[in-house]
Amino acid sequence: MPATMAKSRAAFKKKADHVEQEGPEEPSENGFVRESGDQEEESERSDVVGSSEDEGSSGEGEIDGEDDEEIHQSAEESDSSEDEVAPRNTIGEVPLEWYKDEEHIGYDITGKKIRKQARKDKIDSFLAGVDDSKNWRKIYDEYNDEEVELTKEEIRIIRRLLKGRTPHAEVDPYAPYVDWFDWEDKGHPLSNAPEPKRRFIPSKWEQKKVVQYVRAIRKGLIKFDKPKEEPRFYLLWGDDSSVAENKRHGLSYIPAPKPKLAGHEESYNPSIEYIPTQEEINSYQLMYEEDRPKFIPRRYESLRNVPAYENALKEGFDRCLDLYLCPRTRKKRINIDPESLKPKLPSKKDLKPYPLRCYLEYRGHSGPVNSISIEVSGQWIASGSTDGTVRLWEVETGRCLRVWDVGEAVQHLAWNPLPELPILAVSAGHKVHLLNTGLGDAEEKMRIKELLHVEEVLTDDAGNSVSAVSWIKHEKHDGITLEHLKTVSTVEWHRKGDYFTTIMPSGDSRAVSIHQLSKKHTANPIKKLRAPAVSAVFHPTRPFFFVSTKKNVRVYDLSKNKLIKKLEPGLREVSSIAIHPGGDNVIVGSKEGKMCWFDMDLSSQPYKRLPAHPKDMTNVAFHRSYPLFASCSDDCTAYVFHGMVYSDLNQNPLIVPLEILRGHTSSNGRGVLDCKFHPRQPWLFTAGADSVIKLYCH
Amino acid sequence: MDANGGSAEASRQIRVRFTTKLPPPLRVPTTSLAVPSNLTRMGLSEIVNHVLRNMDSEFQFQPFDFLVDGELIRMPLEQFLLAKSISAEKVLEIEYIRAVAPRKQEDPCLHDDWVSAVDGSNPSFILTGCYDGLARIWKGGSVCTHIFEGHSDAITSANVINRKGVESGNSFNAATGSKDRSLRLWKFDAAEHVEHPLRIGAYKILKGHTAAVQSISSSPSGDMVCSGSWDCSIKVWNVKDSEAEGDTVSIKKRKLHSDAAEHEESQLEGTSTSTLVGHTQCVSSVVWPEVQTIYSASWDHSVRQWDVQTGNETWNMVCGKALNCLDVGGESSALVVAGGSDPVLRIWDPRKPGTLAPIFQFSSHSSWITACKWHVRSWLHLLSASYDGKVMLWDLRTAWPLATIDSHKDKVLTADWWKDGSMISGGADSKLCICSGMAI
Repeated sequence: MPATMAKSRAAFKKKADHVEQEGPEEPSENGFVRESGDQEEESERSDVVGSSEDEGSSGEGEIDGEDDEEIHQSAEESDSSEDEVAPRNTIGEVPLEWYKDEEHIGYDITGKKIRKQARKDKIDSFLAGVDDSKNWRKIYDEYNDEEVELTKEEIRIIRRLLKGRTPHAEVDPYAPYVDWFDWEDKGHPLSNAPEPKRRFIPSKWEQKKVVQYVRAIRKGLIKFDKPKEEPRFYLLWGDDSSVAENKRHGLSYIPAPKPKLAGHEESYNPSIEYIPTQEEINSYQLMYEEDRPKFIPRRYESLRNVPAYENALKEGFDRCLDLYLCPRTRKKRINIDPESLKPKLPSKKDLKPYPLRCYLEYRGHSGPVNSISIEVSGQWIASGSTDGTVRLWEVETGRCLRVWDVGEAVQHLAWNPLPELPILAVSAGHKVHLLNTGLGDAEEKMRIKELLHVEEVLTDDAGNSVSAVSWIKHEKHDGITLEHLKTVSTVEWHRKGDYFTTIMPSGDSRAVSIHQLSKKHTANPIKKLRAPAVSAVFHPTRPFFFVSTKKNVRVYDLSKNKLIKKLEPGLREVSSIAIHPGGDNVIVGSKEGKMCWFDMDLSSQPYKRLPAHPKDMTNVAFHRSYPLFASCSDDCTAYVFHGMVYSDLNQNPLIVPLEILRGHTSSNGRGVLDCKFHPRQPWLFTAGADSVIKLYCH
Repeated sequence: MDANGGSAEASRQIRVRFTTKLPPPLRVPTTSLAVPSNLTRMGLSEIVNHVLRNMDSEFQFQPFDFLVDGELIRMPLEQFLLAKSISAEKVLEIEYIRAVAPRKQEDPCLHDDWVSAVDGSNPSFILTGCYDGLARIWKGGSVCTHIFEGHSDAITSANVINRKGVESGNSFNAATGSKDRSLRLWKFDAAEHVEHPLRIGAYKILKGHTAAVQSISSSPSGDMVCSGSWDCSIKVWNVKDSEAEGDTVSIKKRKLHSDAAEHEESQLEGTSTSTLVGHTQCVSSVVWPEVQTIYSASWDHSVRQWDVQTGNETWNMVCGKALNCLDVGGESSALVVAGGSDPVLRIWDPRKPGTLAPIFQFSSHSSWITACKWHVRSWLHLLSASYDGKVMLWDLRTAWPLATIDSHKDKVLTADWWKDGSMISGGADSKLCICSGMAI
């Protein structure tokens, strides 16, 4: 037997080896395994059968009581689930020794004691066994204290179990396996085949390849770091970008602009809030072509009802045209932050003080205040109005000290710049009045002297009628009246307080006249002006004279009596002019609301054009000591600017807009008519068409 | 906090203890009380009044003001504690004082023109200066007894010269400064009973300024007067030397003659003893608080302190705004208050070295401030007048005005204290308004 077994095992092993080596060719692993398993089991089965038969034949009658008992118990345990007959005794699994000395062995199901049977003598039982042929099948059940006789069937089962077989002969543990799951049709991705052997052993092919590489490296056929080849020739003058451009052949790619993503309103059935009402659609018609919305949302019942896009053909054509005619050049774009291009302006806080708020108002005029002028010391302010009066105010309290009625609408007025000569020059209609304000009380002598002068002139005047201007004593007030031929628009004093100039815009060759107070003399030094004169100013330090016409500003040297410069503001109509107290900078305001800053040393073109008032600019003014200038306009505002002029010639003037002063109300389309700075404080006076003068303080 | 749990809703309770420095009838027991935290000054005042009424049934209700840590309560108590970050857990010590507020508005004294100067330094009368060039004495604040005539232009400043010796005899000296560039000195007897206002001429004219005199102030001793003017100078005048008894009589006689003769040539003329130069613009206000020092404020944005003896400037401060008014007073008579071309009243302490920052700023006005005056005896109270037509009473312990008097219909040009408890103010509506009844 052992020899056959060993033989079959060896055969099996050999077969398995064979199968393993030819693994890849094996079509069905399942089949193989099953086959081999079958074979093995068959051989083993035959072994077992053989041996059990041997044993059965040799020791059939040797089974004694104890053995039987064990068998019985095990059988009982194994079969307990199937054919269970409840044991007579109910004590449970307790050691039976506990009842060894008792008369009973336990209790039955009703709770009554089960009495022990009288023990038979060994010899009696032996004798009984000899008599009874079935004695060997009897077993003593110690638990229930009874003898049990095994049936033939049970004996057979025991025999089979002893042989290691299934207890019942009809059960076939090696029934062929029926694969109920049909693999092919379901296409199941998983396979429950075991991992093939090749997965666990190193690949021979790879090994061969590695050997190949190793040999190649050893022989030097494979080199790792190649030295880079340097181009022998290169473009000496080409810059990098053009090289990159040259490399690109053909048309350069220009990406189409990205369209906006479609929103809800472009749905075929948008929500009702996206649909414009009929009114809105009508209002689109009033818009400009380019402002009109390109797409008007509409609702359709279903996608089937959406019509074709009506512009499809046209836009396709346009796109083709674009592609065809598009110039294929790439523009270099510079990305600059627009914020960085803004000039760095100092903050407004650092530029204080400047006029900010209106604290005082001077009320009393009954018509628009055309002109104001502040006395040099800053104690008084004079104002002239279209109601024909000139008023003198106290700056500090707003009290009206005096009123002169000059009969005609006052166009312009100016204080004599000398503090000891408190004289007002007032232009009204054809006349210019020199009014004695009577403020210089201590200088009575001076005043008297002035008055005397007037009287002298009055006598002189009779013979001195050659001039276009006649000097007459004023009838009502103490002062002089200068009778002009045409309407006088402006009066300006020379800084020394002796000369003053008047402008007659329609006076042609006699438009500009310069008067000398001490000699009561009038001259017309400037004959030719191509455009009507607007105003004239004396230079604050040098013998220069600025005449602004509607087109430009002419600068004359009075000592040499010639034109030295012409400033071209390039504005439609000049309305006002002011000179910086330093004398090198001029601002010119225009009727269109623009202001030009001229630096006399730079050029005759404006250094800067400043943001515009929406309406006519009526006046511009410089502060005498603070770096401030202001403009006022018919839009009822006055703008205040910081205008710092540096003594260093290399540094350009610094101009910063500071504040827009509001407060005046419009009257007959006119707003603020005049603005003047206080000579010593950073305060601005504005005269409005609403007949109020306002003082703005810092 | 026993009450805290009880009132679960809005009003929390704060335990407070009222203390006071007032005399016994106005003193409440120092036990602590629980009061709702949303009480304002009014509520606290009611509580104190009720407590006092419980103690004494005769007690008349009167308003009180309340101080916590030296600050007047001007908002609900809760807010106040939050703003000052004072714990509400502890018993809060609240000191109460009599509320300072004018009770009575007396009939205004009508003038012919703007009232530009007032002086209430003497309790028996008020001296006013007017734009018509006349100065008036209002006896008891109601009857015009004297009219000083002689100035040819508006009077800008008027001052009663306090002279200790003369005061007893009911004869007073006064000085006025005017826009006619002169100062005039007047002498009058306040005790005189007159049916019609007595017209008086100046006994002395002080000339020397070359521009309008803006402000005058007499020295505490009463023998000197200083004046600030638009000519940027401050002049010091001696007013004592000519007051030998015989002289004044002769002047009076002569003056009577001159009145009859309709010209005033006979008056004495004086010149200044010294001129203080340094300001670059109009000197708008001068104050002479001590014998040796003059303070001046100017439109050139500076406040200066001058030594009278040497004529030198001893202290200088630039504030950035054109100044209209100045006063020195307050704590140890050293704080400088000034107002000018903006609506903020500022107080500086010149003793603080190295800083120009004002220690207090009051900004409830809405236009230029024209007058500011410290209370003579109280360190804490001052008044200010402004072009917005308001006179405000300030307490240094709060940033809000204690009282705002709105009786003027136009700009207020000048204001002063009178009789300790009254504020007098003159304005561009030609009225002299008197608010009285304050207990300071």
